[in-house]
Formats: sequence, C-alpha cells, structure tokens
Amino acid sequence: MAVEHSVIGPVNANPYAWPYDTSVPADRVALLCIDWQTDFCGPGGYVDAMGYDISLSRAGLPATQKLLAHARSTGMLVVHTREGHDPDLTDLPANKRWRSARIGAEIGSAGPCGRILIKGEPGWEIVPEVAPAPGEVVVDKPGKGAFYATNLDLVLRTRGITHLVLTGITTDVCVHTTMREANDRGYECLILSDCTGATDASNHEAALHMVTMQGGVFGCVSTSEDLIAATTPALA
Amino acid sequence: MDVRQPLAVEAAPYPFSFDPAETALVVIDMQRDFLEPGGFGESLGNDVGQLRKVIGPLRAVLAACRAAGMTVIHTREGHLPDLSDCPPAKLLRGSPSARIGDPGPKGRILVRGEEGHDIIDELRPEPGEPVIDKPGKGAFYATEFGDLLISQGVHKLVVTGVTTEVCVHTTVREANDRGYECLVLSDCVGSYFPEFQRAGLEMIAAQGGIFGWTAPSEVFLAALAEAPATSRPV
Repeated sequence: MAVEHSVIGPVNANPYAWPYDTSVPADRVALLCIDWQTDFCGPGGYVDAMGYDISLSRAGLPATQKLLAHARSTGMLVVHTREGHDPDLTDLPANKRWRSARIGAEIGSAGPCGRILIKGEPGWEIVPEVAPAPGEVVVDKPGKGAFYATNLDLVLRTRGITHLVLTGITTDVCVHTTMREANDRGYECLILSDCTGATDASNHEAALHMVTMQGGVFGCVSTSEDLIAATTPALA
Repeated sequence: MDVRQPLAVEAAPYPFSFDPAETALVVIDMQRDFLEPGGFGESLGNDVGQLRKVIGPLRAVLAACRAAGMTVIHTREGHLPDLSDCPPAKLLRGSPSARIGDPGPKGRILVRGEEGHDIIDELRPEPGEPVIDKPGKGAFYATEFGDLLISQGVHKLVVTGVTTEVCVHTTVREANDRGYECLVLSDCVGSYFPEFQRAGLEMIAAQGGIFGWTAPSEVFLAALAEAPATSRPV
C-alpha cells in the first residue's frame, strides 16, 4: 500500500519556482535550523552582552517558530545545529581561538551565560522559541559549515533527504557556508529570507542576493509563507 | 640552523603573517569557459572583462610565488564526460539555455578534457604543479585538495581566482573551518558583478576576520620580496 505524504512545491521563489524538480514529498525534505543559540541571539547571551543589537539576529525567530510547527505536522525531517567546542578545546583551531580573543569574546572564556561557545553551557543552548522537540536531530559543529566534521551528511542520506530548507543565523556566515556545502553535495536548497538574519542588515541582503545569481548558483530564496502555501497536505 | 622570521602583510582587518615554506598559492578556476571571449561565461551574458582584470596582477603573483619556492596549486571546476559526478540539482536547475555537458563554443561545457575547461594560457600550470579537478564550488569537497595541503605541510593559503563570491568564497569558508588561515588578494580575485566583488571581500574580513584576511597584491608582493633565501626550499 502506498503511503501518502504531504508534497511541497512548486514554491514561489527567486530565481525559479523551487525545487528544480517541481515538487518533492515532505519526507525527502529537511528543515535546517542553524545556530539559534542564546549566545548569538538570546537576551543576556555574549553577543547581547558585547553591546550588539540582537534584534536583527532575532528577526527570523517568529517565522521560524511557525515554520517548525508546519514542518512537524507535514513530516519533514527537522535538524537543529549548534556551533560549539568541547570543554577541553581539543576541537578548536588555533586561529579561531586567537581571533575570538582579539574581539573580546575568547571561545572557552567565562561569558555572561557560561563559558563562551562551549558544549553544555547555558549560552550554547538553543533559545526556547525554536528548541528541539524530543527525538529531533541536533548536530554539533565546530565550524561555520554544518557538514564539516559532523554526521549531518550521513544522517540526511540515511533518511533519504534530497532537499533542504535553511533557516537560522547568521545569513552570511553559518547559513551561507552550510548552503554552499549542501549545494556541492547535490542537495537542492531553499533559503528563507524571513527565517534568517545577520548582525549587519546589508550582509543579510547581499548573501540572499548572491544565491539568486547565475540561475540560482546555490539554490533559491523564498519566504516561509510561500513555502507553507505551496504545501499540499497528505490525504487523510 | 634554520631560523625563520615570518613575513607580515598589511592586510584587513589586521596584518597577516606567513612563512612562504608553509604557505600555498591557490589559483581557483582561471578557466577558458569563465574568462575568454566566446566562452561559456560570456554566452550566459556575463562581461568577461570584469574577470580578465585579474589576469595581469595574478601573473605577477604567480611568478613571485614560484620564484620564492612556494607551493602553487591550481583548481578547475568540471565534470566527468558521462556527468556521473554532476548532481541532478546542479545539472537541471533553473532551466538554463546551455547546460553542463552541452556543446559550447569551446567544447562540451564544464567537461574535463575539453578546451573550455582548461586553464587560460596566461596562467598555465608548470610541470609538477598540482591541478585539482573539483565537481563543486569548494576545492575541498570530493577532491584530494585537503590531503595535498597536509602532505605538503601547508598551514596558510594565499587565495586568488574566480569568482569571488562563488568558488573563491566557498573554498575560503571550507579552509577556514579546517583551521587554515587565508589571505585573499583583492585584485587577484574577480566577479562578473562589481557589487559582489565588494561584498565578498568585505565579508571575509568582517567580525575581526571571520573567514580570513584581504590585501592588494602589491602589498603581498612587497612582503614576499623580504623573504630570506633560507626560507626557500631547494
């Protein structure tokens, strides 16, 4: 007996109606929620404590929260990522540590929410608005990209995932690096402009624009509303 | 005894120090299909003049790095003739008028072994210089590039080539996550789009150098000229 799934697509997107193969069953799509961590976007996290305006990095939270509920109801795979390092810093490259110290936020040093970017510390946890549900995949990554030195590719391929929807922070750093890695690996990617954000608004805009060039060099840009509107529910 | 003084380049966001013996020059995708009039890039409506501005400064950098005995590595983007290493999403995306593998002005587009896939004559690799064939935008994914850097004892990269916001940026991001320090030479990388050239360079040096450093080639060449003969492997 055939199992019925929700179907996604074609989604109104730029520069083409996503995905390239017109539509995709929801169980072959993963929703990536990238680095929604307290230290990056939570009140009292280290970015907040350094005096940056966190409203820009938090801008995508409400839409992502709504999209998460949609993804869970349609059977998409939900994957969360966290950037962080082991307490003994064995997975922290020397240049990354040195640079973080230089801007006054040395990884591993005491911050406002525990040791900065260290696994297990409060500041490293995902903010409550988009916290993982029990059983959802959480990938811990030592770099900006979610594929390098992690099991993400293995998890996605084991689940038969071929298409990715990207949300998270920041648009130009961790989201873009992950999208580029995914694109090289053959995943068909969609980044959502209302579910991402950067500490610098012009970097957010430039990163989204880059995706759309050359016929969609890394995939497509759309919004969560367009994705939800393009979902056909499974027959009951 | 070999006592090396690292060289310093005045760069953004702060000086980049390097030892030529542990640093590789990476020349990314300076291929005919992207750079030459009548190639694939131009057939898509791009102004190849934006990319060709890179050739002159890059020739000078290539000559100086060779003279200093630095490791020089070239990359090419392309696919096997049967396209078995080309993901369907890359092949079919966006209903392009010309697809990878189609006949193009300089042979089959982005297929290994075709004239258009090869590196332009002005920057032709010398015998013994590795040429990495990559199926993606990044030089690390599905290639021997990472192993090569380890085996050559390379810790830092001087990055050049095209295009700034696509293959150069993806490779620098991959390298940065792997702990390599990258200096991107601002006049030796190019984009079809001036807006992305500017944004791409700015992003590298933002947030205290989140992906690395940027500097014009003349500053790098001036620093390299200070290299003592002892730092040059024979």
